[in-house]
Amino acid sequence: MSTQDNRLSGGLIDRERPLRFRFNGEELQGFQGDTVASALVANGVKLVGRSFKYHRPRGILTAGSEEPNALLTIGEGAYAEPNTRATVAELYDGLSAKSQNHRGPLGFDVMAVNDFLSPFLSAGFYYKTFMWPRAFWEKLYEPIIRKSAGLGALSGEPDPSSYDKGFLHCDLLVIGAGPAGLAAARSAARAGAKVILADEDFRFGGRLNAETYEIDGRPGAVWAEDTAKALAEMENVRLMPRTTVYGAYDHGVYGALERTGDHLPDTDGKPRQVLWRIYTKRALLCAGATERPIAFGDNDRPGVMLASAVRSYANRFAATPGKRIAVFTNNDDGWRTASDLAARGVEVAAVIDPRDGSPRAEIPGASVFMGDAVAGTKGRKAIREITLASGRSLAVDCLAVSGGWNPNLQLTCHQRGKPAWNAEIAAFVPADPLPVGMSVAGAARGALSLQAALTEGQAKAEAALSDLGFKVSGEPVPASSDESFAVTPLWHVKESKRRAWVDLQNDVTVKDVKLAHQEGFLSVEHLKRYTTLGMATDQGKTANVLGLAIMAEQRGISIPEAGTTIFRPPYTPVPIGALAGRARGKDFRPYRLTPSHDWAEEQGAVFVEAGAWMRAQYFPREGETHWRQSVDREVSTTRNSVGVCDVTTLGKVDIQGRDAAEFLNRVYINGFAKLAVGKTRYGMMLREDGIAMDDGTTARLGETHYVMTTTTANAGPVFRHLEFCRQCLWPDLDVHLISTTDGWAQFAVAGPNARKLLQKVVDAEFDISNEGFPFMACGEITVCGGTPARLFRISFSGELAYEIAVPARYGDALIRVLMQAGEEFGVTPYGTEALGVMRIEKGHAAGAELCGTTTAQDLGMGRMVSKKKDCIGNTLSERPELNREDGLRLVGFRPVDKSHALKAGWHFVSKGSPTDMAHDEGWMTSVAFSPSLGHSIGLGFIKSGDTRMGEIVRAVSPATDSDIEVEIVPSHFVDPEGERLRG
Amino acid sequence: MAEFSLYATPALGGYSTTHDGIALEELDGLGLISIATPLDSDAALAAALKKGFGAEIPAVGKVASSSDSKIRFLGMAPGQLFAAFEHDGPNAEGAIADKLAGAGYTTDQSDVWVGLRIAGPEVRTVLERICPLDLAPNAFAQDKVARTAMEHMAAIVFREGEDGFVLLTARSSAKSFLHALEVSIANAL
Repeated sequence: MSTQDNRLSGGLIDRERPLRFRFNGEELQGFQGDTVASALVANGVKLVGRSFKYHRPRGILTAGSEEPNALLTIGEGAYAEPNTRATVAELYDGLSAKSQNHRGPLGFDVMAVNDFLSPFLSAGFYYKTFMWPRAFWEKLYEPIIRKSAGLGALSGEPDPSSYDKGFLHCDLLVIGAGPAGLAAARSAARAGAKVILADEDFRFGGRLNAETYEIDGRPGAVWAEDTAKALAEMENVRLMPRTTVYGAYDHGVYGALERTGDHLPDTDGKPRQVLWRIYTKRALLCAGATERPIAFGDNDRPGVMLASAVRSYANRFAATPGKRIAVFTNNDDGWRTASDLAARGVEVAAVIDPRDGSPRAEIPGASVFMGDAVAGTKGRKAIREITLASGRSLAVDCLAVSGGWNPNLQLTCHQRGKPAWNAEIAAFVPADPLPVGMSVAGAARGALSLQAALTEGQAKAEAALSDLGFKVSGEPVPASSDESFAVTPLWHVKESKRRAWVDLQNDVTVKDVKLAHQEGFLSVEHLKRYTTLGMATDQGKTANVLGLAIMAEQRGISIPEAGTTIFRPPYTPVPIGALAGRARGKDFRPYRLTPSHDWAEEQGAVFVEAGAWMRAQYFPREGETHWRQSVDREVSTTRNSVGVCDVTTLGKVDIQGRDAAEFLNRVYINGFAKLAVGKTRYGMMLREDGIAMDDGTTARLGETHYVMTTTTANAGPVFRHLEFCRQCLWPDLDVHLISTTDGWAQFAVAGPNARKLLQKVVDAEFDISNEGFPFMACGEITVCGGTPARLFRISFSGELAYEIAVPARYGDALIRVLMQAGEEFGVTPYGTEALGVMRIEKGHAAGAELCGTTTAQDLGMGRMVSKKKDCIGNTLSERPELNREDGLRLVGFRPVDKSHALKAGWHFVSKGSPTDMAHDEGWMTSVAFSPSLGHSIGLGFIKSGDTRMGEIVRAVSPATDSDIEVEIVPSHFVDPEGERLRG
Repeated sequence: MAEFSLYATPALGGYSTTHDGIALEELDGLGLISIATPLDSDAALAAALKKGFGAEIPAVGKVASSSDSKIRFLGMAPGQLFAAFEHDGPNAEGAIADKLAGAGYTTDQSDVWVGLRIAGPEVRTVLERICPLDLAPNAFAQDKVARTAMEHMAAIVFREGEDGFVLLTARSSAKSFLHALEVSIANAL
């Protein structure tokens, strides 16, 4: 158990609640309110990881989400989460953290040999080095490079955590709960607006928690806590701590990730994270600023930390990163680190400020070096000594560095906004155009002082609300100090002799930037790709400006001339699990179940997905060991007696209106104007380009009332097409559409005994004899003693067949009744397989034939295209190419050797022709074993097929080395005259 | 006397539970009839609705009530209303069609949709996990109705009481929809 040697007094931690945790197996202690990083600092841990490429020892650099180094794997087993920034991971009891990217212990990483090879591993090395032999790249070089470089590893197991998503709405979204955000939210809340205040931290206050400022006479952190408490009590305010607004999208929509369970040892089955889509009327970005480092020799040594982070650890977490600390700053704000540390009794060895002039503050016990700079560091796994440009050396165990502040303007650029350079603070600031509805306040806009943040936060909130019509109170702005942030830019210390690091996450040095320049990668976008500057989990939050400033220096141009790379969402990493939300496994999408689903399950049916539908594929009976046995039996029983199939999934469109007949006439290729009440007709519709779109039947139930059926797959698209026709093409027609697909349980009853079966179910007053209810009749009837129903005499199987429909609520009852009534005939239920076999035996086209490339002509229905009327697709179907004499025709095929099984997808080639594309004559679309004929049969398209009956061609598949002879036959394999269905 | 008879099966088996203060139940006996306005006959339909039910035609997105408050008329789309009311048995259409006497085209939608009533003080906290609409009382007033999609499934939403909503969803996917609500309750509360 460690002693927390570096703990100070005070801070915003709860000493009543000690927490145990482990780092690389070692048991340590921290307190509630700590992050993993602050607890490590308190325990004097400096070395926390190895760098990406050179495996150099690395320590904690920051105290926020910009952290490039301290990436740990947190959690055990399947719960392990790699690349978690220790600086934002909230400590909980029992937390287990491991360092990443080392072979052997963290203190002795054998891969550190890479660091000695660094002269060969500079930017672009693998573009140049591993060019030859070519085959070695994929098999040898890349695997080795991948293995040696990298971040943490995934557990390789499914993620056991759950995630969720949601939608929020507000008048004003305040992004960031620092002084600007709190002042804004307070003002907006009092005006009565619906406010969401989100902050990535678990404690509201932003820098107020890390600084010693006062507001209205109270310590800043206390003011923040009081303000947050007051806001929490207001009904119109939603406070969202632990929530990162990661993206700004169109129309004021923002993406946010709320970490609801990451700070808990156990989420109790609740989601670990929730991904929110926030619809805003206005948004105010109060995301603050991020301190940037200065590049100098060996500035990546553990113990080198941003000056503001040192303050955060000392002030907020009561943990000092060192016992003898030097501060290297080119700005006035950095001096606060020295004075705050001194005030807390931590020894400040020196303050080094490259600017000339007098010291900016009196630091007890500290040497002050104005006009000097840190040029190098010493120490192996932690800093031991610094060397100044002037040649002096100082013994220290921590160096606090400040190169100035960069506003966190990422979200302002998510819609291609380009930031502008502000010379006064030597940083990029947001510039117009901002995303619609967004404004920016405080440090995020470059107004770095506390008073400016408070004033702007309130003013911008009030402006946004006035814009929305709210009355704002105009109350006084909380009072605080207006401290100085004066800065003289210093990007890198030229006196440094050793490598100076720009991007710590990607191991990019000043030398790499210079190399990019030397090799012509001048644009910042090229610089980024060539050196990897600004990539990976931190997205260059501490590195970008430094890198492009150095490039600008090299090119002899100004920083704004060099420009910036584009920021894209997400602002910080979002787990894929959160993006998936609850859409996992079976919950990936909704299921649609037929009315007979429960019954089919009881029968042991095997189901198949048809779009979102679950349909019974076949119904195995005892003793049947192969699906073909079940399907053959279902087909034979149906053809010889009677079978029942749930066809509810076919789309049903209720069409009404005085002009419904005319409407149908225009959407179908064949005439519907003369369809009599009580009759059904097959129809085919084309796309505007003349290609077949869908087919089905339409029944006329009344003078102005029709019901159309569509294929299962096209139910949605056809409905959409019809609505388009109705609303946009022919608004002058009186026609109205509504889907009734789910409203009717519909069953096909097919086979020679179909009528006898139905006569037991249909109420006696309805005559369904062949004379009373002939082929293609339809009607509204009642069944089983008065239940309303619809009956259609249509046949997909080619048998005497009906489709009977009842309101869906009766579907479960009806399938059981049909089975019971059919028992005396040996009725069988049949699934989609038998349905498919029978339609192939009958030569009916289905999805494989209506495949989006075929015409009515190809399908053998060219004569159906009525020339007496216009219809959609009519004109373009007359294109010569679609009407070639030798065009494709749908015909039947049977193997010459009947023992062969045909396969869909085979292509046809004439006997004696070479097997190549030039001699391709068509392809097999659907195949089945026909129990009625006792051999395999197929449907397919072949050139001039209708005039080639009896010809033998080859069906080939070069992919599977198949090549067999097939005979072209008519597509009606069973009952070609259609006597059965009229019987 | 017919040899066979048919019983009605509720899509969700008559689901009714209370979890964490949220009452969630399948509506029993929901009559739902769509009414389409014949082309250029808005006035005739308005008159028939007034005469038959004492109701005005609601604007799209609004709910109007019959004079006896038993029927809600939901403004679904230009030229399309839904009438929602309690009705036992399969013949709900007559209740509307008979009184309209041809002034509107009616289609029975009772079995196309399943109604779910969800109510409780935290109902909006539950629904915000799947419903993209703003359901806050000031944004979604008592007389509002909206079509939306939740978890890829079409839904119609209207209010019932202060903290209650009726959600209509397609019958075939109703079990998936119910699952989505159950998960939302478990996750959010």
